[in-house]
Amino acid sequence: METRTSRPGWWPHFQSPLRSTAVTARLGRAVGICFAVCFVTGMLSHYQYHPWTWLPEPAHPAQAYRVTQGLHVATGVATIPLLLVKLWSVYPSLFRWPPVRSLRHGLERLSVLVLVSSALVQLTTGFLNTLNWYPWPWSFPSTHRYLGYVVIGSILLHVAMKLPDIKYGLQAKLVDADVLTEIPWDENPLAHSNAGTVPPPEMPALDRRGLLVAAGTGVGAIVLTTIGQTVTPLAGLGLLATRQASKGPQGVPVNKTARSARVLTSARAADWTLEVVGPRPFTLTLADLESIESVSRDFPLSCVEGWSVGAQWAGIPLIDLVRRAGGDASSRVDVSSLQPGGAYNHSTLQGPQVEAALFATHLNGQRLDLDHGYPLRLIAPNRPGVLNTKWLRRVEVS
Amino acid sequence: MLKYRIALAVPGAALLAFGVFRLVTQLEGGDLFALAIWLAVAVALHDGVVAPVTAGTGLLLTRVAPAPRRYLQGALLAGGLITVIAIPLIGREGTQPRSKAILLRDYGGNLMLLLGLTAAVALVLYGFRVVRDHRQGEGP
Repeated sequence: METRTSRPGWWPHFQSPLRSTAVTARLGRAVGICFAVCFVTGMLSHYQYHPWTWLPEPAHPAQAYRVTQGLHVATGVATIPLLLVKLWSVYPSLFRWPPVRSLRHGLERLSVLVLVSSALVQLTTGFLNTLNWYPWPWSFPSTHRYLGYVVIGSILLHVAMKLPDIKYGLQAKLVDADVLTEIPWDENPLAHSNAGTVPPPEMPALDRRGLLVAAGTGVGAIVLTTIGQTVTPLAGLGLLATRQASKGPQGVPVNKTARSARVLTSARAADWTLEVVGPRPFTLTLADLESIESVSRDFPLSCVEGWSVGAQWAGIPLIDLVRRAGGDASSRVDVSSLQPGGAYNHSTLQGPQVEAALFATHLNGQRLDLDHGYPLRLIAPNRPGVLNTKWLRRVEVS
Repeated sequence: MLKYRIALAVPGAALLAFGVFRLVTQLEGGDLFALAIWLAVAVALHDGVVAPVTAGTGLLLTRVAPAPRRYLQGALLAGGLITVIAIPLIGREGTQPRSKAILLRDYGGNLMLLLGLTAAVALVLYGFRVVRDHRQGEGP
């Protein structure tokens, strides 16, 4: 073929029979599904932080955010190895000759560049974020969201451009599908479409099915050894899990310690009061907290970083305080913390969560640990951990 | 097929353009520059280091006889993927306050355990293969 002979002699040539559009299409399908799951669950998480007033977050099922965000992080982690194998399978395509043959071809390659780089950065920064590691200057949540649009958009574009190849790849058998090299199939004299029926490529060692099995085993091992931070019955398998709920104070990890929130003194002050502002304002003292009849609720603590743990909380139903202040279930409730500054030293409740939430004094049968928000914290079902404001100082009912 | 391709490409291009627009308009100059560096370095590291090293390892492996190579390739692939996830964990081990209950494990030791398990499984599978080939060689 002309294009093949006209290229430089040193140009790389790939001949591993393991690579094939049949392999790539199967890997690509898995990566695509994973990114779709991450995009949808990521948007659901974004909505938790910025709901529309007319469509507040539901309070039931209490585990909803635990499931969707656990899925988001577990899927994202599993996508890292999947993407690496997917990129391995198409690496020869990087060495097409000539590198750009037309405007259309150039644009297609540009879109692949955008897809590969945004997907790599999205997965890497997402994973590092769950390790509380932020070696970048930008704000993570918004950049992660915008990059999410770039990734999912370029995946859709990529699928549109590769649709005929995907169709061939998914229909072809793994054993006898064309070998993928740096020469596009329509110029490859050895491709089925050009040579008619050709004998299956020889794979004396690992074959394509074996490759998918080995990759699947690696991905499966990663999922099994990390998922225990969300699916608590599997915590014992968590060789590579980041969080260990049982090692946290009162069996629940924290993200913001009392020290880092700079409330070591204010939260332990004997003259602490909760200021409740509304049509009928009042204040509660530490002694009042002891005398008010408390109720017990089972709500999970579910972090945006994917870890979560079921817990038993006891305290005062928020709706009781809201009614006493002259509000009702339709009120908007703003709570704020003793923590000076910080993006999450306050949060807002509306709709079903106002009725379901608790101002907790106890966690798993004990008075709240200082790191868990002593003397009083918010806990509501189906709500990201960081929005369950700790070290409460003020409540505004409107 | 054309209508499906258009139905995918139009929302795809729109989402991509929206994401790029938000990044360019919402991020401050310095942050945007840093992100651009990250995007470029990610591709350079993958295409210039990770992929060539993988391809080179594959080439080296062709010197091993096909029967054991099959299991060696499988073990290296599965073990390599596990290692990619374990390395950042090892780097961050023990860096956080105790009550966060995060990164408290011995990830280096756990990685060795997982790699050992992977190697053991590959060896056992290869052992079965050797025994099977041996029996077939003898014939009934």
